[in-house]
Parts: sequence; C-alpha cells; structure tokens
Amino acid sequence: MISPRTLRNLRSELSRSLLAKLGIAILAVILFTALFAPLLAPHDPTDQNLDNANVPPLGFTATENQTTSQMVDGEVQIVEEEVVVNTTAEHPLGTDSLGRDVLSRTMFGARTSLLVGLLGTSIAVVLGVTVGITAGYYGGRIDDALMRFADVMLAFPSLVLAIALIGLWGQASWRIPDPLVALGIASSEMPEHVVLPGTVIVVVALVNWVWFARVARGEALSVRDQEYVKAARSMGGSDLHVILKHVLPNSLTPILVLATIQIAAIILLESSLSFLGFSGAQLSWGFDIAQGRQYLSSSWWIATVPGLAIVAAVIGINLIGDWLRDALDPGIEGQGGAP
Amino acid sequence: MTDPLVTVDGLEKYYYENDTLLDRLTGAEREAVRAVDGVSFEVREGETLGVVGESGCGKSTLAETLMRLREPTGGSVTFDGDPVYELSGDDMDAFRRRAQVMFQDPFSSLDPRMTAGEIITEPLAIHGVGTGAERRERAETLLEEVGLSADQIDRYPHEFSGGQRQRIGFARALAIDPEFVVLDEPVSALDVSVQAQVLNLLADMQAERDLTYLFIAHDLSVVRHISDRVAVMYLGEIVEIGPTEEIFEDPQHPYTKALLESVPRADTDERDRVVETIRGDVPSPRDPPSGCSFRTRCPELIQPPWLDAPQAAFREISEFRTRIENGDIDVDTRWEQVGDPDREDRAAFVDSLYAEAFDEDLPDDDEGTVREAIRALADGDREAAAATLRERYRSPCEAVDPALPAGEHPSACLLNEQPDDVEAAREEWEADRDAPGVGASSR
Repeated sequence: MISPRTLRNLRSELSRSLLAKLGIAILAVILFTALFAPLLAPHDPTDQNLDNANVPPLGFTATENQTTSQMVDGEVQIVEEEVVVNTTAEHPLGTDSLGRDVLSRTMFGARTSLLVGLLGTSIAVVLGVTVGITAGYYGGRIDDALMRFADVMLAFPSLVLAIALIGLWGQASWRIPDPLVALGIASSEMPEHVVLPGTVIVVVALVNWVWFARVARGEALSVRDQEYVKAARSMGGSDLHVILKHVLPNSLTPILVLATIQIAAIILLESSLSFLGFSGAQLSWGFDIAQGRQYLSSSWWIATVPGLAIVAAVIGINLIGDWLRDALDPGIEGQGGAP
Repeated sequence: MTDPLVTVDGLEKYYYENDTLLDRLTGAEREAVRAVDGVSFEVREGETLGVVGESGCGKSTLAETLMRLREPTGGSVTFDGDPVYELSGDDMDAFRRRAQVMFQDPFSSLDPRMTAGEIITEPLAIHGVGTGAERRERAETLLEEVGLSADQIDRYPHEFSGGQRQRIGFARALAIDPEFVVLDEPVSALDVSVQAQVLNLLADMQAERDLTYLFIAHDLSVVRHISDRVAVMYLGEIVEIGPTEEIFEDPQHPYTKALLESVPRADTDERDRVVETIRGDVPSPRDPPSGCSFRTRCPELIQPPWLDAPQAAFREISEFRTRIENGDIDVDTRWEQVGDPDREDRAAFVDSLYAEAFDEDLPDDDEGTVREAIRALADGDREAAAATLRERYRSPCEAVDPALPAGEHPSACLLNEQPDDVEAAREEWEADRDAPGVGASSR
C-alpha cells in the first residue's frame, strides 16, 4: 500500500526538514528508553528509601527544614534549622518524596504512555475508519445515523467521558511479565511486570475514535465520486472490493497524519487520567506529576522531570505528524519529490 | 440491418431535490431534475452510435444509467435480450463482463495508488479470471496492443501522459473481452493531436474485436470521425438520430442545424460567414420549457397560424415575451434610466425599452401590440403585459411536445414529420383557438 513514490516523497521531505529529523530523533530516544528501560534505568523505580528522599538533581541544591531536639542544660530544646540536601551522583535527576529515583521512574513511565498512546490510537483508528468509511461510502440514511451518533460523542468533553467510562467499568489492568527481566537479561531487581492499563486504553480509544470517523467519512465522500470507483463498479466490483481496494488506500494519508496528532493527544489524556488517579497505573508520567504536585514549592523536580518528558514526546510526535503531512500532501505527490 | 445489441426504451433518470426528511415535514414540493427524460434508441451489433450534445444535456447520466451505475427512475434497457435492470447474481455478473465503460477524465479514472498492471487486471481479479501470472501476461499483451510498452506495467498513473492514461483506461475496458463498450467522452480531455491517435486506436480495436460502441462526446468532428450513427441530445431528450452522413449533410432538427452551424470550418469562405450561434443558455433541467424543450432558443420557432411576421421579428418578440414572463425586466431601473422619477412620461418609458429590446423592424400591427404590452409594464402590471403578448404570439411549440417518430432518421420537431398523436395534438391546439384581434385594443 506504500508505493515507491510515497517513500521517495517521505525521504526527500525528511532530507529537507530539520524539524522532521528532530522529531524522529526525539521519538527514537523515547521508544528506545521505553523498550529497554530495565537495562537503562539506574534503579528499581519502585524502590523506596526515606533517608534519601527529595534529593535534588545534579547541579542543584535544595534546603530542607529539619527539626531536631537536643538536651541543653537539662531542658529539651527543639531546634528548627535549614539543612542543605546534597545531590548524589546515584540519583542524577533526584529522588521523590519517598526516595524513589526520578530518572528511573521517568524511563519506566515512558512505557505506560507509549503503550496507551499507540494501542489506544490503533483501536481508535480501526473503529473510526470503519465507521467513517461506511458512512461516507454508502451515504444517505446510514451516513445520517452514524454521523449523528458521532456528533453526540463529540459533544462530551473527552476527559469527563473518559472518567465516566472508567467509573462504569472499573480499572481493569493486566500485568505482563517483562521479557527482559524474565529472561535474565536485565537485573532481577527491576520490576517483574509491565502493567497494561486495559480500561484506559479502551477508554481513550472510545473517546477519540470520532475524529477518525469524521476525517475518514470526508475522504470516502470525495473518493466515492472518483471515476476509478465508478469504473470498478462498472466492472462488477462489490462494495467490499471498492472499499478495500480504492476507498481505503486513497483515504489513508490524512488519517495517518491525524493519527500522529492523536497519539500525542492520547498520551496527554492518559497523563490527565493518571494525574487525577483514574488510570490505576502507578508508574506513569501523569501519576508522577500528581505525586510531585504537593512538593512543587520545595522539590520542583519530582513533577517537572516527567512533565518535560510529556512535552518532549508530544513535540516529537507532532513534528513527525508535520513531516508526514508535508510528504504525503497530494499537492507534491506525483512530482516524485523535488530536490 | 443487424440486430440491436442494446435497446433503450423510454429511459428516465430524475433527481429529486427537497427530498430530505425536513423538506417532507415542512411540505416543500419535491423538485425533479430531469437529467434523462424519456430516451429511446438502440445500438446495433458492431456499430458505433455517437451521442452528442452540449454540457449538461444528460449524456453522461445516460451512459451511467444505461450501465446501471445509477438506478433509473423509469424505462428499461435490454442487453442482448436481457433486461438490465432486472438482472441479479450470475446474470448481472455476466452483464458486467460483457459491457464495459471507458471514462472521460484521464486523471481521476485511474486509481493513483495502483500500477498500470494492477489497473488493467482489476476486472480480471474481480471476476476471478486466471492466475496472477496469467493476468500479468494479459496486461502486458494489452499494454502493447494499446500502443504502450510491456515494461511500463509497474509504473504508476502519474508517470504517464494524458493520452497514455486514456490508453490504459481503454486497456482496462478491454481486459475482460467485452462486446459492448460505453466510451464516455474518451478524448475530450486530450490535445487535438493525441485525440486522433486515441480515436484511431478505438477504431482499430473495434474492427479487430467486433466491438459495439456507444460513443459520447460534445465535439461534433470527433463524433463524425468515429460514428456510424449519431444521436443528438438536448436537455435530457434525443432530438434527432440518424446515420452520421445524413445528420451532418442534411440535419433536420433546428438544434442540430444550429450545432453544426456553430462549428468553425477550415475554409476561405469562413472569413465572411456570419456564424449564427445558438442564443442564450441551456434552460435548467429543473424547470424545462413546456412543449418542445428547444423552443426558448430555436431560430425556427413556429408562428401561430394567424401570424405572418418575419421570422427574425417573431423571434425577437418571443424572446422579449420570455423576459417579461420570467420577470427579467426591472421596471424601476428602466424608469431611472428614462430619468422620470415621478413615472409620468409613459411614452418615454415605452420608447426606451422598445429601442433596447428590438433591433428588427416590426410590422406595424406587431409594433402596436408590443408597445401596448410595454405600457402595461410601465404601469407595473407585468401579468397584463405578458398576457397581451401571450395571446398573440403563442407558438404551437410551447403547447405541443414533439416526439421522435420511428424510422431511420427521425427528428423531434414539429416542422418535420411527427407521430400521429403529436400531429393530432397540434391540430387540436390550432383548432381550439381563434385568431385574436389584430392589435384591436392597442390603439
């Protein structure tokens, strides 16, 4: 389905655009980190150490109010003093309020975000494209019924809808053994499971499929009237043939571009859900931000580091979306990519 | 005469506007757009029937309805004895194999994401003919046959020129060995030099494979080049049909004559020839004229029996009447032009509008009647103005709908031979009306 011409356009657009390279680089780093987190992370992200809590990142200092009591002249004196908390090379990005390593947590958190982003988007694409193409291709009553339903879905604020659905279904999640740990490649001190937040994935898909349905319908409407579709029908091609061979391939470009944008939106939605405590994931960027929120004035890094990770992921994915949009634009399609 | 392969009988395709649920609830009237309005003809085995007409006359809708890409609202099509609109299952499958279409647009008729080979073998794949290798071989042969080279099989449409793309479209239509091919303006998007090549290819393949063509075009010279017979369409109806040479040498219908007249010729006389083009635009198929659909533009509009005005004068009066009936004359603006805001100087108003509308010298009686109508208009009584003109200048063409009689070269015009029921209707119309008094009330 990807023609050599498309590949050529992708390549030439990539060589032209610095931002596209940057986007791919960012996403590659995040993907790599997520895949090999047990090998890369310096600590077990769930390992607590209260003696080492709220350690600032390297290069920063932080002070902490410490209350000590001592006997002075037979009386107990309570002394409050400011103590400088030293950074340690062991925790380059510091630790959180329970002494867990922020860097390790952020690395593992990438897994949840990417899992939810990719799987959620995939389900949303399949659902939305099926509905949208059916509506656009057949038109008439079918179109009216499906699209009015989609409009109703659009009327709900996505976060509210997501919370309502989670409230309805509960927080089902599966623990999948981490192959790197199970096979002994990574240290056995690392968490043994990857948590797959099932409900969250389904819910973010149900909240976002409407966008794909809208775009797919519009594409199907325009492709439906192309002469090659008439030609296929005049040859005796069934609806299924026409949809699979002509309508779907010719509708994919904007859907692909939309998908990249939606991955970013879904990552944000997952973070919001985790932040609000609805996702059930304990190792996620959003969850860590929620945890760090109350220490923002004293230990800003607890929330800031996962926050920057979200920003980086969203920017990276959006840059890739821009690249795909430019490269697959029908306007330059067919020229084989000008130098 | 060979047997007809395709027989079209009274085919109708109406589109309805104001047909949504809301319209029905509010009681809005359903408006029919008569794209194809009762068309009958046959295509004989091995011949090329050309269909010509201006843009929007329903040629392409005819082709698509005939191929059952759209369901008709009336009439029937018979293909080799089978009623096309009643076929289903295997019979429909067989029809889809035996009849193919080649489309107009070299760009949108080929899927941009398929290679030439995939495009040409698509009908074979749909009908499950041959293995993958056999199909590919067939595509290579076809590419050679339509004048391309077999090693272009893996190229994409954008790598071909317009003419080459049409060749691929034609190869696709031929892939499954059809008997009947509908060619929907196959060359109208091509350069003139390329047109000739593609037309010759079409003719060669027809001779080689005993194909029957329905060739749709708006270009008369193209149709003349390739057709055995020609049907002329106007506003969803066939107005004349006959052998190509007869149509071009001895056109019967005023529309055909005007159409042929408007074609520039390569001739030294051409410099001096006054090209009498058809006036006005094609009327909307939403609201076609009563009677003969061409009457609003017809240079040979028939005068009522009591009238004997010069044809040019009669035509100007008829056009003026149409303007009044349609409310195209803005009385307020005219008064402003006359420069009389108090609207007292009716004579000036009449002179001004009369001078604007009439170039011809009208006979005195007619000038009187027209001026009387304009006076009514000046008083703001458009209805009376229209009635005055309608009374005296109504034409049988607006009351009687001409039909296409049987025969080898029939035309749907009251000037020519008409079926008995049409002649009867015309006589009835003429007998029914007394000649109005000649400008009696105008003085």
